[in-house]
Amino acid sequence: MESFIATGLIGISLGTQYTLLALGFTLIFGILGVVNFAHGGFYVMGGYVAYYCNVILGLPYPFAVLMAMLSMAALGWLFEAFILERVIEDHQATLMVTMGFYLVMATAILMIFGAESPQFPFPVTGVWRLGGIYFPYANMIVLGACLAAIVFVYWLVYRTNIGRGMRAMSEDLPVASALGMRTKALFPFAFALATGLAGGTGALVTPILALAPHVGDSVLAFSFLTVILGGLGSVTGATCAAFIVGLIEAYAAVYLGGSKGALTLFALVLIILVVRPQGLLGREVRRS
Amino acid sequence: MNNRVPKSVPAEIRASLFSGHDWIALAIVSLTFVIPFTSTNPQVLSQTNLILIAATAALGVYIMQRLDLMSFAVPSFMAIGGYTVALLSMKLQLTDVFVLAAAAFLMPALCAIPLGALILRLKGVYFVLVTFVLTEIVQLLLFEAGPITGGSNGLVGMPAVKIFGMELWDNPHVLLTTCGLAFFSFIITSVFTRWFRSEFAAIETNDVLAESLGLAAWKYKAMAFSVAAGVSGLAGFALVNMLLTAHPSSFAPMSSVNYITYTIVGGKASILGTLIGALLLVSATDYFALSGEMSPGLFGLLIIVVTMVARGGVVGVVSGLLYRLAGQSPSLKNGDHDLGGNGEKGQ
Amino acid sequence: MTTHSLSAGALHADRIAKSFGGLKVFHDVSFTVPAGGLLGVIGPNGAGKTTMINIFSGRLGLTSGQVMLGGTRIDGRSTFEIAMMGLVRSFQHTAIFNGHSVETNLLSALRFSRRDRSVLERLSPLLDQFGLIDNWQRNAEVMPYGLQKMLGLTMALATQPNMLLLDEPAAGLEKSERANIDTYVKFAREEFGCGILLVEHDMEIIKRLCPSVIVLDGGRLIAEGPPTDVLSQPHVINAYLGGSDEEDSDVTH
Repeated sequence: MESFIATGLIGISLGTQYTLLALGFTLIFGILGVVNFAHGGFYVMGGYVAYYCNVILGLPYPFAVLMAMLSMAALGWLFEAFILERVIEDHQATLMVTMGFYLVMATAILMIFGAESPQFPFPVTGVWRLGGIYFPYANMIVLGACLAAIVFVYWLVYRTNIGRGMRAMSEDLPVASALGMRTKALFPFAFALATGLAGGTGALVTPILALAPHVGDSVLAFSFLTVILGGLGSVTGATCAAFIVGLIEAYAAVYLGGSKGALTLFALVLIILVVRPQGLLGREVRRS
Repeated sequence: MNNRVPKSVPAEIRASLFSGHDWIALAIVSLTFVIPFTSTNPQVLSQTNLILIAATAALGVYIMQRLDLMSFAVPSFMAIGGYTVALLSMKLQLTDVFVLAAAAFLMPALCAIPLGALILRLKGVYFVLVTFVLTEIVQLLLFEAGPITGGSNGLVGMPAVKIFGMELWDNPHVLLTTCGLAFFSFIITSVFTRWFRSEFAAIETNDVLAESLGLAAWKYKAMAFSVAAGVSGLAGFALVNMLLTAHPSSFAPMSSVNYITYTIVGGKASILGTLIGALLLVSATDYFALSGEMSPGLFGLLIIVVTMVARGGVVGVVSGLLYRLAGQSPSLKNGDHDLGGNGEKGQ
Repeated sequence: MTTHSLSAGALHADRIAKSFGGLKVFHDVSFTVPAGGLLGVIGPNGAGKTTMINIFSGRLGLTSGQVMLGGTRIDGRSTFEIAMMGLVRSFQHTAIFNGHSVETNLLSALRFSRRDRSVLERLSPLLDQFGLIDNWQRNAEVMPYGLQKMLGLTMALATQPNMLLLDEPAAGLEKSERANIDTYVKFAREEFGCGILLVEHDMEIIKRLCPSVIVLDGGRLIAEGPPTDVLSQPHVINAYLGGSDEEDSDVTH
């Protein structure tokens, strides 16, 4: 029972991480109609920026996380404005440039930091105990920070004018433009928001999980899983799906072992894609 | 209406099955048969081997591109083909190259039929995502299905394949097998895509219109998916035969990105683009591998550049230049008597 | 009225209804286009006219009712099957194979409907008059809108249908080009013996061509009869004046 609860806690904290990644991913798809293959790259690079600030420069960890978010948001902004924007009409082209950008990012990290996994410990150690349940403080802090970020995204999307504009655009681009939304200005903003989140998540999570140049691959795969499960472009769907994915992954790792958990997830997602391509809570995709 | 002579419909000019690009590509591939007989340099042999395998695998991407679908499924079908060959030769002692090639083509092609029935309804990004997920699943299955696939050890110790009872075991002969498989794949792909070029081009440009005119688009999509799977399977055979091992790492999900890159950078409009893309990029990988793991970054940069400034890829740019040198306008397909002529679209 | 005896090739809608989710967009509409006949369909935007064409051509399923072509039930069949049975639609916006020549576009229509080149000879007066022969080798994508539209219509006719569904053929055409629609409709009926269901906003064209029209409003059939009679009925006028603003747009690609 205790291990069941402890596993559940791990599942939930995984769920919050996936939510942050999936929210960014789904915002980009919902608003720009782009599947961002570079999303995992922003996550890894966020991790490395935090590592550089915290370990190499000796800056405080919270500041390092902030730097990771800001720098990834800036990079995302530049990428959107100067590269993605120019091919935004052609879905295959957007796929190619985000994929290309991911390869460039991964190689840049490899060339700067090397292939070795750097030592990037979480600054807080210790374990919280209640009866037989163990939960590291580090995970707890990350859980809290991720939850705060999720609340922030929801606030932004549902309670602000920018969010209303973004949602209007994901509903119907021509209508939103007709209503005077400055669509072009919102595109890089939405992209930067999403990549900033990915960078922040990387900064928070890589000290606990792993930091290496290639971890973006699996992050991308899990972002895919989450958004497909939840429905591309659906914010609520992505959140629900992220927790489902996190919990299944955690429990499968404990009770099934090996890669069976991942296999279960992928099979589940494949079935969902076939039966219900718009995902659990998604709408029919609009053609870009 | 006015008193002019009514004009009648101009006579049709029949287009040949293969375009110039097809002939060049087939000529290059058939020229590689010379290499196993003239060279013993292991570097040359292995490079040619790698280029041909890469080009053959990338044909799977090329075929699906005829339908405007971006497929990440190539490594899955390569794995099915490769493991089929490994199992047949190790468990059943079937080593005849023709039997193995037939199995490596048919097994993935058959698997693709039910799979295609499920996923070919999806378009655009959904097709991309589902093929990506499929590749991840196949990779995990290779690890999990230990009793059949050997799990993380893979299947090691394949016997050499035979042609008419003669063993093809040393490096030149392994390359010869690859040459044969690649040539066969290029022939299948070019005949298949050119034979149905009108249908494919129509589905690519406007599938709704094509269907409303009476075209059963799903049949062509299913056929294309199946042939693409079969050709990928042949590439899997060649790869497994070169390594003498079937291992999950040979069919890593991210390798699908490489095959896409070859097709796009070389030029997705013709089969020649796939070949040139594989030729240039595999050589570049080899060159840059000397100075660190830079090739993915180079690939990435090339993908971005090609997508943004040269949609036709290397072949598109070069043939555009040649047209200009010859004083012709490259902007419109000259002599487009069939849908999907050999010109570049949207240039 | 399940066993309605119909002449071969007539298009008959029998109490067809369609809802999306809980939203009913089409209510129990029945009518018949006789073989070789011509029926106009008018109605304000959002009346369900394009939805109706999408249903007949197999892009949308029905919620209830049935559609018969001759003696065969066609609802629920796929688009290409219906097309091969002789019911072919045109599209409201231009629908051609972009990036290909006029010739290629027409040859594709022939190929997909398994017709031979002799159809082109029969079509040549039309092709000549629309100016398509003068643009024979030109990339259809860069031709003026009017020409593209006439090419799309001619492609539908090149499949030699026995029933044509025309979705606002005159939409987007200049006033001077609209006579082409008259020519096209007359040609299709006289030379090809085609029945036509003509959805159109241009009342002049409707009055010129259609002996009879039906009026749709909010997914209901509210009137039918000769155009001049129908258009003078008060509830038809009301429907137009108070018509919903919803865009009755086609899902083109």
